[in-house]
Amino acid sequence: MRKGILGCVMVVCCGVIFASGCAKEELVKKEEPVAAPVAPAPKPAQPAVPREEVLPPQTVKEAPASVKEETAQVAPVSALEKIYFDFDSFTLSQASRDTLTKNAEVLLKKLSGKIQIEGNCDERGSDEYNLALGEKRAKSAMNYLVTLGVPAERLSVISYGKEKPADPGHDEAAWAKNRRDEFVIVK
Amino acid sequence: MKKIILIIALLALFPGTAPADQSYLEVTAPGNRQLQLAVATPVPLSGSANTGIAKDISELFRFDMTLAGPFTVMPTTPTDPKSGIRPGDFSFDVWKAAGADLLIKSGYTLAGTTLTLECRLYDVTRGQELTAKRYSGSITDMRRIAHTFSDEIMKVTTGVRGPFTGKIAFVSKRTGNKEIYLMDYDGYNVQRLTRNGSINLNPDFSPSGKELIYTSYKKGNPDLYRRGIFSGTEARIAAHRGINVTAAYAPDGNRIALAMSKDGNSEIYIINKDGRQLARLTNNSAIDVSPAWSPDGRQIAFVSDRLGKPQVFVMNADGSGVRRLTTSGAYNVSPRWSPKGDKILYCRQMGGFQIFAINPDGSGDTQLTSQGSNEHPRWSPDGRYITFSSQRSGRDAIYVMRADGSGQVMVSRGKGADSHPTWSPRW
Repeated sequence: MRKGILGCVMVVCCGVIFASGCAKEELVKKEEPVAAPVAPAPKPAQPAVPREEVLPPQTVKEAPASVKEETAQVAPVSALEKIYFDFDSFTLSQASRDTLTKNAEVLLKKLSGKIQIEGNCDERGSDEYNLALGEKRAKSAMNYLVTLGVPAERLSVISYGKEKPADPGHDEAAWAKNRRDEFVIVK
Repeated sequence: MKKIILIIALLALFPGTAPADQSYLEVTAPGNRQLQLAVATPVPLSGSANTGIAKDISELFRFDMTLAGPFTVMPTTPTDPKSGIRPGDFSFDVWKAAGADLLIKSGYTLAGTTLTLECRLYDVTRGQELTAKRYSGSITDMRRIAHTFSDEIMKVTTGVRGPFTGKIAFVSKRTGNKEIYLMDYDGYNVQRLTRNGSINLNPDFSPSGKELIYTSYKKGNPDLYRRGIFSGTEARIAAHRGINVTAAYAPDGNRIALAMSKDGNSEIYIINKDGRQLARLTNNSAIDVSPAWSPDGRQIAFVSDRLGKPQVFVMNADGSGVRRLTTSGAYNVSPRWSPKGDKILYCRQMGGFQIFAINPDGSGDTQLTSQGSNEHPRWSPDGRYITFSSQRSGRDAIYVMRADGSGQVMVSRGKGADSHPTWSPRW
C-alpha cells in the first residue's frame, strides 16, 4: 500500500516536472484542450419558438374589459340579482337568502333556461385557494335555490376565484362588491 | 493526459482532502467572508470591438454573480494595461491590488451571426485558473451562452451547477387577460406560450422541463392542460365538472397532483400524465387545494381550511398520516417543497402576503419577505434561489432572491402584471 502511494507520488512528481519543464511552450497550447473537449459548446438548444395554434380570440362571456358595462346592468339579466359574502366565507347571509328567494321566483315564473352561478372572491385571499372558495360560494347559492324548488338540472356552477373582479378597486368597498355570486343565463 | 497529471498534482498539494465532494469554496474556506469577484470587460478576441456585446455580457455576469450568494461583485474594475484573457496575457497584480479574490475574464468573436465566447475564471490570490470554457452559437443565444458560464462558475466554486440558464414560466396580464409566458430567469427573451384570450393560471414544469401544465378557462371550465413547450402540442388532461386546478408535477414526471371538485368538493387527487385518476388523497368537506410534492415523492404538502382557516398540512402520498404543518398565522397558503427536501415555502396573509420557509417538521418557521405583498414562491431547481411575485412596486411583477430571503431583485421587464412564476429544471 505504501509502495503504491510512493509510486503515485513519484509519478506525480515526474508529471509536475514534465509539466513545468516545458511550461513556456505549453502555456498557450495547454489552454486549448481545456475548452476543446468540453466545448461541444452548449449549443443552446434553441428554444424553438413555441408553435401556436392560431385560435380566433375566444369571446369569453364577460371578458374582463366588459365587466364595467356589465355592472351598469341591463334589464333582462339583472332580473337575477347578485349575492354577496363576508371575507373567506361562503355562508349565505339573510340578505343573500332574501335575494335568492327573489331569484328563485324569477327562475320558476319568468325564465325557463339554464343558469350558471359564477362564484367570485375579492383580491385579498390567495388566488389558488380562492378558486375553491368561489366554487363553494356558487354551490351555496345553488343548494339554496334547489331547496326553494328550482330544479337542479337548470343550475350549474363555475368559480372564477379572484380572476374576475366586478370592481377593480383595492378597498373594502370594492372587495365587498367582488365577494359575490352572479347568475348568468346559459343557452 | 497532462490534464490528468495536473489534477493528480493538485491532489498532492492538498493531501487528505476528498476531491470528489469538495468545492473550491470548501477548500478555500472563506468562512462568512464574501469573495470579492471582479468582472473584466469582455474583449474582442479577433475582429472589431462590439461595445454592445461587451456591455451585455459584463452586466449579465454581474447580475448572476450578485444573486449567486458567495460573492460580492466589485463595483469597478481596475485598469489593466494588458487586456488579454489567458494566463500570461494579463497581470494578476493589478487585480490583486484592487482587492479581487476572483476574476472573470472573457473574450468574444463575432463572425457573421456566430458568436464565440471564451470565458475564464481565475483565483487572483493564487494566480490560478479555475475553469475555462469556449462556447459558440448564434448571437441570438448570447445571453444563454453567457448564463452557461455563470452556471459553470457555480459548479466550480460550490460543487453544484447554477440554475441561471433556466427559464421562468409565468402568468402575465400584459395583453389584458392572463396568458402563460416564458422568459430567461433574469427577465430577458420573453416568449408567449398561450394565446387563447381566456384566463390561464398556475403553470408548472414537468421535471424534464419540456412540458408545462396549467389551468385554462379556454373552453369555459377551469380545466387542466399539458403542453409541449417546443412542440406546441396541447392536451386537455383533466376536464371534470368543477375546478381542475393547482396542479403539480410529481418528481417522477409521470404523475400529477391537483385539486378537483368533481366529487362535489375541492379534494386532492393524483392523476397520470394523460389524466387517468390514480388516487384520491383527501376526503373532507373542507377546501383542499395546492398540493406540493416532497422531492422523494413520498409526501405532499397542501392547503386545507378543515380547521376553519386555510393552513398548510402534510400527508403521505397515499393520503394517510395527515398532520398540520403551519401553526402560526391565521391564513397560510401556497406551499412548495425545496428540491433538497429540507424546507417548505409558503405564504402567510398578514395584511398582504409574505413568504415564509419552514422545516418539514414544523420547526424553524422563518419570514423571508417583508416589503409589499409577496406570493407564489417557487424554488430554483438547485434549491439555492426562489422566484416569487410581488406587488411592492405598485404592480404584480416577478422577483428572484436567495433561499434565505436576501438579494431580492425584480426580473420582470414588461409593463403588465406578471405573477405565478415557476423556475424550469435545467434547460
